[in-house]
Amino acid sequence: MIAAALQRLDRSARLIAPFTISAMLVMIAALPVQLPGYGQIAFNVGLITVFYWAIYRPDLMPVLAAFLLGLWQDILVGSPVGLNALILLLVNWAIVSQRTFFQGKSFGVIWFCFAIVTMAAATISWILVCGLNATLIDPLPGLFQALLTIGAFPFMAWLLARIQHAVLKPADEDV
Amino acid sequence: MNRRAETVVKVEGSVRALVHRFALLFLILAAFAIMLLGKAETIVVERVRSGVVDVVAPVMGALSRPLATVTAAAERAEHFFTVYEDNARLREQNARLLEWQNAALALAAENSTFRKMLNYIPETGARFSAARVIGDSGGVFVRSVLINAGADGGVQRGDAVINGDGLIGRVAETGRQAGRVLLVTDLNSRIPVVAEKSRIRAILAGDNSRQPKLVFLPPNAQLEPGDRIVTSGHGGVFPAGLPVGRIGSISDGTIRVDTFADFDRLEYVRIVTEFPGEVAGQIVPSAVRSSSRR
Repeated sequence: MIAAALQRLDRSARLIAPFTISAMLVMIAALPVQLPGYGQIAFNVGLITVFYWAIYRPDLMPVLAAFLLGLWQDILVGSPVGLNALILLLVNWAIVSQRTFFQGKSFGVIWFCFAIVTMAAATISWILVCGLNATLIDPLPGLFQALLTIGAFPFMAWLLARIQHAVLKPADEDV
Repeated sequence: MNRRAETVVKVEGSVRALVHRFALLFLILAAFAIMLLGKAETIVVERVRSGVVDVVAPVMGALSRPLATVTAAAERAEHFFTVYEDNARLREQNARLLEWQNAALALAAENSTFRKMLNYIPETGARFSAARVIGDSGGVFVRSVLINAGADGGVQRGDAVINGDGLIGRVAETGRQAGRVLLVTDLNSRIPVVAEKSRIRAILAGDNSRQPKLVFLPPNAQLEPGDRIVTSGHGGVFPAGLPVGRIGSISDGTIRVDTFADFDRLEYVRIVTEFPGEVAGQIVPSAVRSSSRR
């Protein structure tokens, strides 16, 4: 009885791991790094994790999870609340709806798609923030952040793959 | 029987698709609504923000310590190689500061004599609260930092935040044990300032760049690069006389200020939680302050 309950608990903990791990990574990324100017262009961890899980385990990163992760990121980072929530939501939806396209594709193709998604996300958030503040904002930091995010993707994808193999049992993969 | 089950499954599937689609639409609308409410500084959004920050602040505070240690160690190693140059520079600076100290002591003595002659009631000191920076602004669009001091430490919204160099910004939101500081470089930062010598008033407006600019200057204001800019205290939100920076560049009518504070290396900050009137006297070295009390 207890063993069964523990097993269930263990399983659910594993199933929400993509979300909790993403939330943790977002928090770590928000810590102060005393590199000149880095804080402003620190790469967008939420975007990478949502993209990754949407491709490899969309069942474990539903739209609501993407939305909440975005809110979490907004609050920790201090960006306008709702901005990343919207962006991550759209990214999640876009990737999950194109899931069949990504099946069996090489990493290069996925990276390329990530680059396109990141650029689109950067453009949308730039437009939104300009609209919210009713001024034109220098788009360069946004561009740098997008490039940095694209550059960080291979490493983060490797890290997330390690986490995926360590935390999610093969048995869960069939769920 | 079999067919019925099939239709049930079909209907269930389409209902699920519908719910899914509506959920997406609902969440998109929710995101927009939250953005607008946040922009309008609605109390609910702020409560949620500060509540969440309150909960994570201890964790982030603990996590940021090792990072700070690593940075400090790297800096120490760096200083090791420049120790001779630093020493020479500091000796020279020390000599210069001693001269200033003499001047300040003389002025403080003179000032207290004048105050006695005028029956001037001296202002009581301002109160400060110290905090550590626990969260960097990772945002492209916002210049702010998280600090580990909040309402429990007497920190309130709108309080001025300084460090040893000068003005950092103002407290934009507070939880019980954490708060967010909007830096003077942020797009939404507007601070009344005054040029220290010419007493020309202006508003220091951030635009997310490194150098905030001066706006709402009186026509034909004569300002020159190098002029010191301090807070004016107008509006009563900030104490007057907090050092902000020097005029860095004047081009095409845009005057930009080089801030004294280095926003890339914020570690500890002070929050002015209480100030009776002007705080100008509080920024002078403690040696001068203690002699003026005598």
